[in-house]
Amino acid sequence: MKTPFATLAFCALALPAVADVNDVLDQHILPYFHGFAVATDTLADQASETCDPALLKPAYTDAFNAWMAIGDLRIGPSESGALSIYFWPDKRGFTPRTLTRLIDEKDPVVQDATAYSEVSIAARGFFALEQMLYDPAFADYGADSYSCALTAAITADLAAQAKTLADAWAKEFVVTIRTAGQPGNTTYLSEDEALRAVYTQILSSLEFTSVQRLGQPLGTFDRPRPARAEARRSERSLKNVLLASESAYAMAGHLADWDIPHTDAAMSRLRDAATRIEDPAFQDITDPSARFRLEALQIAVQDLKTAIEGEIGGHLGIGAGFNSQDGD
Amino acid sequence: MTRLFMTTTAIALGLSGAVQAQSATDVLNTYADIAAAKYEDSLIAARTLDAALDALIAAPSAENLQAAKSAWLAARVPYQQTEVFRFGNAIVDDWEGKVNAWPLDEGLIDYVDTGYGGPTDENQLAALNVVANPTFTLSGTEIDATNITPALLEEQLHEADGVEANVATGYHAIEFLLWGQDLNGHGDGAGNRSWTDYAQGDDCTNGNCDRRAQYLAAATDLLVSDLEWIAGQWTAEGDARAALLENEQAGLAAMLTGMGSLSYGEQAGERMRLGLMLNDPEEEHDCFSDNTHNSHYYDGLGIQNVYLGEYVRIDGTLVSGPSLSDLVAAKDSALDAEMKTKLSNTMLALGRIKSAAEAGFSYDQMLERGNAAGEALVMGGVNGLIDQTQSIERVVATLELDQIEFEGSDSLDDPSAVFQ
Repeated sequence: MKTPFATLAFCALALPAVADVNDVLDQHILPYFHGFAVATDTLADQASETCDPALLKPAYTDAFNAWMAIGDLRIGPSESGALSIYFWPDKRGFTPRTLTRLIDEKDPVVQDATAYSEVSIAARGFFALEQMLYDPAFADYGADSYSCALTAAITADLAAQAKTLADAWAKEFVVTIRTAGQPGNTTYLSEDEALRAVYTQILSSLEFTSVQRLGQPLGTFDRPRPARAEARRSERSLKNVLLASESAYAMAGHLADWDIPHTDAAMSRLRDAATRIEDPAFQDITDPSARFRLEALQIAVQDLKTAIEGEIGGHLGIGAGFNSQDGD
Repeated sequence: MTRLFMTTTAIALGLSGAVQAQSATDVLNTYADIAAAKYEDSLIAARTLDAALDALIAAPSAENLQAAKSAWLAARVPYQQTEVFRFGNAIVDDWEGKVNAWPLDEGLIDYVDTGYGGPTDENQLAALNVVANPTFTLSGTEIDATNITPALLEEQLHEADGVEANVATGYHAIEFLLWGQDLNGHGDGAGNRSWTDYAQGDDCTNGNCDRRAQYLAAATDLLVSDLEWIAGQWTAEGDARAALLENEQAGLAAMLTGMGSLSYGEQAGERMRLGLMLNDPEEEHDCFSDNTHNSHYYDGLGIQNVYLGEYVRIDGTLVSGPSLSDLVAAKDSALDAEMKTKLSNTMLALGRIKSAAEAGFSYDQMLERGNAAGEALVMGGVNGLIDQTQSIERVVATLELDQIEFEGSDSLDDPSAVFQ
C-alpha cells in the first residue's frame, strides 16, 4: 500500500505556504494522522488472518512510514499517547524482557484487546512488534503459538491506539489549537502560544533526530554503538531519520508564508548526506569512513534546525518552549 | 563591561519592558543564596550519614543499619530540593551525575538475585559484582580492585565502558548497599538487606562483608567530598554564582530553564510517566528504599522554592528574599497568581502520592498494571507538572527572556545544552 507520506516532499514544494498554524493542521497533521490510522488498520486486518512475519512486514513498513509523519509530536493527545506507540530508546532492554515474560507466562491478556491496552508500553507499539517480526529470538513461531496471538494483539492494539489518537486530534485538539486566545480556551491563552507550541514540536523533532536517532548509535569515536540504532532490526534507521526530517521541514514550510531559502537549502543538503549512507541500519559505523558520513548527516540535521530557528523563530520573534525530551 | 553588554542586548532585542537590572540582580542573589544553603544542608546531612555508616561498619547491628538508613533518608530531603539547579547551570549539570545518577545496573556493585540476569547488550558489566571480585577486566584492561577506594569508584567504575547505568557512586549506590534489591515486585516492602551483610567473620552473609564495608565507606567519602565541592561553587566567591550573575537576563532564563526542564522532560516525563507506562516496579527513582514518593515531592518543592524565593533549611531557619514571583507580579499580577496556583496544585498532587505511600500504598504498588488508583495518583502529579510548565513558559515570555538564545548566551531552549 502506498502511504500518503510518500508524497510529503512534493506537498511542501508544490503548495504555497500560508501563514498560520491552521495550515500545519490541515496540510500535514490531520491528513497524516488519518493515513496512520488507515495503515495500522490494514496491518491489524492482515494480522488477524496471518501472523507470519514475512507476510506482515510490508504492512508494518507502511504503518511505520505513516507514523513518522506525525510521530514526533508531543502535544495534546500525543503528549502521552505517543509513548505507547513509540517506546524508544529502550536503554535497559525493557522490550525483550517484557515480551519474554508474556510468552513464558502465556499471559492471557493477549486474548482481550481492551486488557492489552493496560500492558507495559515496552510490549506495545512499533518496537515490540519489530522484535516479534524481525528478531530471530522472537520471530520464529508457528500459527498456533502464543507468539502468534501476541503479534496479532500488538497490531490490534496499535490500530486501536492510532484510531483513538487520530480522532482525538481531528475532533478535539484541533479545536483547542484553532480557538487559541478565545474565551474558554485554557490551554492556549493567545494565538502566539499555539504557534509557539507547534514551532516547538518542529525543533524538538529535529533535536531528537540529532541527539537520539543519530547520537545513540554514534556513541563516541572509540566506542560506537551500532546496537543502539533505532529500528535496526527492520533496517529503517536511516529511513526514520529522513522521514522525521522531511516531516519537520514540511511543517516548517506550512508555518511560514514567506520564503525560507536557508531552510530549503539545509533540507537539500540533508537529503544529499542521507544518500551517502551505505548501511540503512547504521551497523557499519565501526568503520571510520562510515562514521564520518553519519556525523555529516547529524550536522545536516542540526543545520536544518538552526535554519528554521533563524528563518521562522527569528522572523516571528519567538523562541521554542520546553521540550519533552529535556532531561537526562 | 556587563552593563555595556546588557545595554547592547536590550537594544538588539528591543527589550523595552525588560526587567530592571537592580531587581533582577536581587532575585538572582536570592536564588544563589538558596542554592548555597541547600548544598550546604546536603553536605551537613551527608556528613551525618557518613558518621552513621562509620558506626555501622565499626559495629554491625540491626540498630546501626537502621540508623544509617534513617540518615540516608534525611540526607535526601535537602538534596532533592537542589535538583532544580541542574538544568540551566552548567556547573551543576556537569557535576550531578557523580552523586545522583539513576537508573543503575546494581549488579555492577554487589550480589543480585538470579532473576536480575547477567550482562546485557547494552551493558556488559551489568553483573560485574565488584564487591566479590578483587580483580576483573574492564574494556580489555585488568583492574586491581583489591582496595576499594574513592579513586577506583570515581575514575574507573563510574560510567564504566561509557554506560550510564554503571553507577558506582552517589546516593543510589549507597542506597543499594543499605537496602539491597527490592524483590517484592509490586508487593509491599522495600529492599531487605540484612545487617549481617556487614558482619565480620563467621556471621557474614552473602560473602565479602569486608569489601562491602570498604565500598560503602569509599562511596560515602566520595559523596561528602563531591558535596563539599558543589557547595563551594555557590559561596560568595563561587564560580556557579559568578556564572549566574554574569548577565541578568541570562541568569533569570537559567532559573526558569531549571524549573521548566525539571518539571516537564525530567520529572513528569522520564521519572513519573515513563515508569507508570512501563509498569515496572523498579522503574522508580529510589527503588531500593521505596522512598520515591519523597524524591518526587522534594523535587517539586525545589521548583516552588525557586519561584517564591524561599527555602526552609534543615535546622528550620528560613532563607528568603526578592523572588521571581515579585518580578512577575510587578508586570502581570494575574500571571503571578496563575503561576503560584499551578505550583501549589502540583505540590498538592505530589503530597497525595506522599501521604498514600506513607500510609502503606507504596510507589511501586502504584505502578502496577491495571492499578487505577495508583495511576490516578501518579498522573495527578504528572499533569500538575506539565500544567505548571505552560505557566513557566508564559513567565519566560512575559519577562521577555525567550529570545536570549539568538544572542548566543545561556539558552532557554537549546536542548543540546540541557542534554549534557
